[in-house]
Amino acid sequence: MTRRARQGALGLALVLPPLFLLAFLVVLPAVTAVVDTLTPAGGGSGPTLANYAQVLATRTVRADIGFTIAVTLVSVAAVFALSYPLALYLRFSRGRVARVLGVLFVVPLFVPVVIASFAMITFLVNHGFVSTIAYHLGTRTFPRLVYNATGITLAQVWVNIPFAVLILGAGLQAIDDALIDGARDVGAGAVRTFVSIILPLNATPTMITLTLLFIGVFGSFTIPYLVGGNAPAMLGVTMTNYLTQYLRRTESVTMAVLAFLIAAVVGAVYVASVSRRERGTA
Amino acid sequence: MSTVLWPWAAGALRRAVGAAALAALAAFILGPLLTLLLWAFAGTWLFPSLWPEFSLRWWAFVLGNADVGKAIRMSFLSAPTATLISAVVCVPAAYAFARLEFPGRRALLLSFLSANAFPKIGLYVSIATLLYRLNLMDTFVGVVLIQLVNTLLFMIWIPTGTFRGINRNLEEAARDAGAGPLRTFFQITLPIALPGIIVAALFAFIAAFDEAQGTLIVGTPNHMTMPVLMYSLVLGYPQPVGAVFSILLSLPSLVLLLLAQRYLRAGYLAAGYSL
Amino acid sequence: MKGRWNVRGLAAMVLAAAVAAVFIPGSAPDRAAAAAPVTLNVYINGDTNIFDLWSKSLLPAFGKRYPQYRANMVALLHGNGSQGVFDKILAAKRAGRTTDVDLWETEPSFVQQGMADGLWVKLSADMLSNLSKIPPQKLAATGGYSIPYRGSSVIIAYNSQYVKTPPKTFDDLVAWIKANPGKFAYCDPNTGGSGQAFVAAAIYKFVNPDKYAGNAYDAKEEAAWDPAWKLLHDLQPAMYNNGFYPNGNVAVLQLLAQQNIYIAPVWSDMSLDFLKRGLLPKTVNLEQITPPLFGGDSTVTLPALSQHLEGALTLLNWLLTPEAQEMVINAVSGYPGVDWKYMPASVRAKFADVAKPYSPLPNAQYLADLKRLWHDRVAAGQ
Repeated sequence: MTRRARQGALGLALVLPPLFLLAFLVVLPAVTAVVDTLTPAGGGSGPTLANYAQVLATRTVRADIGFTIAVTLVSVAAVFALSYPLALYLRFSRGRVARVLGVLFVVPLFVPVVIASFAMITFLVNHGFVSTIAYHLGTRTFPRLVYNATGITLAQVWVNIPFAVLILGAGLQAIDDALIDGARDVGAGAVRTFVSIILPLNATPTMITLTLLFIGVFGSFTIPYLVGGNAPAMLGVTMTNYLTQYLRRTESVTMAVLAFLIAAVVGAVYVASVSRRERGTA
Repeated sequence: MSTVLWPWAAGALRRAVGAAALAALAAFILGPLLTLLLWAFAGTWLFPSLWPEFSLRWWAFVLGNADVGKAIRMSFLSAPTATLISAVVCVPAAYAFARLEFPGRRALLLSFLSANAFPKIGLYVSIATLLYRLNLMDTFVGVVLIQLVNTLLFMIWIPTGTFRGINRNLEEAARDAGAGPLRTFFQITLPIALPGIIVAALFAFIAAFDEAQGTLIVGTPNHMTMPVLMYSLVLGYPQPVGAVFSILLSLPSLVLLLLAQRYLRAGYLAAGYSL
Repeated sequence: MKGRWNVRGLAAMVLAAAVAAVFIPGSAPDRAAAAAPVTLNVYINGDTNIFDLWSKSLLPAFGKRYPQYRANMVALLHGNGSQGVFDKILAAKRAGRTTDVDLWETEPSFVQQGMADGLWVKLSADMLSNLSKIPPQKLAATGGYSIPYRGSSVIIAYNSQYVKTPPKTFDDLVAWIKANPGKFAYCDPNTGGSGQAFVAAAIYKFVNPDKYAGNAYDAKEEAAWDPAWKLLHDLQPAMYNNGFYPNGNVAVLQLLAQQNIYIAPVWSDMSLDFLKRGLLPKTVNLEQITPPLFGGDSTVTLPALSQHLEGALTLLNWLLTPEAQEMVINAVSGYPGVDWKYMPASVRAKFADVAKPYSPLPNAQYLADLKRLWHDRVAAGQ
């Protein structure tokens, strides 16, 4: 065997174990799920889309899907809008404030999501901490901040800031100071520098952040379950209810497959953008 | 070399913006945690008082609960097991992704995104169906498998980035000096890559430890982990109970945060995601 | 630098000590030699107060009375994991093995399913001497395959400080809610029985409850529930917080305690327990309305393939003694499974207000559909 072929064989052999785990834990359940949902209910032959038709015909499920997409988009936008300036600040500033911020933003990463949800509720609920402070400052009506989409969004932002700042920050780290200095020497202002230099160079981490954020929020369960309202509900909660409360496993798995598809569309966008970059640098 | 590269107005305005941002962010991030801390030491806390009546009686209540001990033990058995299996299986593969050429390398590396590409809860519902058929529901193995899913992405991508960042010349020099490939790996490559692998293991452990959704479906009733117990404590008991248990549940993560601080800043996480 | 190292070193030592503390007790070998007590496994479906009843009162007392047995409780919160337990028992029967489930407190639907497969022991007076203490109509309901050992029903709790004339019927209650918006709440039916009971009461206004309580299931019968959905949906704006349904029985009790609401449906045993522990203001009173909200007995079944049949029978028989039944009353304020006449007079007096008959529970399939339809027709308003 040539050296190249030997290397190839060794490489494949080494990556086989985790690939096997991936196949067993992700691919196989996903495929089994899809096959289950394509099988007609009473036995019978041939694949059928009847389960999908039935699930999509349910108005509440459609409402839940729409609600989930909406909340996800708003949450991702909010996280992004907060994290990018933070990442920029940490990249371009020194000094004590930057150092403290640098430790602060990582804190939510080390708090389990269940605890984060519970903490958010005690913080924001009516007659909770913030509302009590507002009461002492004179306000008598407090807006409803938990057990609705607002609560879900705030909790998702809290939980996802570290991840977004880390990835965006990593990308910003790779941008040479010389480029920024050069832009300033030519007379470009802050916004111009950001739009023309930073944004394009940081495109891949931006895509990664947006994609993984979308998928994470879209498929979440704990935050909507504890902090969300009764209806409409995020898809994760609806799926679980159909499985464990309404005793309808097939509908539940059908919804899971639908959620896969929506996430796959977003994932495909990510893969396309990354492959474009890989081809560029290869 | 200029120490201040912030392109905006320098000096006072920048400092003011910084201070305001710091205050707002601190309030948003630390506020909920502080509230929880107060609740943990509250006997009762009725609106509109700003402080609770302090008491330690809920600590006695939580620590005396037999389920708490069982859940702690299950968490500390399953999460390290999942992390260890993940490390043993994934680190050699990461080396292969970083150093070796084989067909489909790029595609296979990207395929690990699928573990995170599918909405987790949908995945768990499907895995549960599979585990039912294999009689792995409510078993230790089932819980470890669910936790394993969360660790794969970290344990492949971050070490791959780390290995890639190691200068090939070091390895080639060792080979020229006569060392075999295994010896080169263990004595040259691995020690240099160790910090990155540790960061990966850290994130993998936290991901496995905090895993709640899937273990709720797979681990009840006999194999409850701490996060799963948290659901029932939050929903079934007065608020201080959930708060006390939150502190207990956060302790390992806090300890790891202290230990990991140095590694986090060195940018190993960044290297992993740069593909 | 040195200071930092000390903190990290200390943290590492703390972590190592914690790990050691977790592992070492569990791994120490069991030193109990020849006279090792037989360990029974009791699987309990319920809420946290029931788990406390078993693990803190019943099982320790049983161990003291019969030192040759030790009982271990496995908790299934809100029934999570019940299907898995049933599958485990069924799989054991199919494989011809014994199972580690010695006693199981679970929902009637699983008892029904298991009867067809021959999974349970049919209990009779010669196996259980105390069986005669149970009112015969309760036993007839399960044909001797499961034993009621405690009961409770959903009742109405109201804060007498704010509610001077409490509503006495369901219609009165609906009128009160509309007249006092924001002061009533029931929990999401997915999360607690007290919420389900209120929804069922709305349904029972328009249909005969017994049609849905038996074994039959026909989804078409649910069309008769439409007027109930309209009633509940119309009631939504008058609910607490404009139609927010809290997550769980306990959440509603907490709202009552914080005086966010003045009336709520609650479980009799939970509310009596909260009152006893001072978690509800003393001004909260309990009553049952007409027609009554639903309730039921919790029953325990004995798997035929249990590894420790004799021990399980002993435990079951002991459960029906006045000693154990009084624990049920004292620990969780539940109704006894045996006839009230076997309970002391003082106890009977305490329960005079709430120990009235209750409406039946819908069976498991109807209940699952009730939850789903409530979500679709009331919460989502479709």
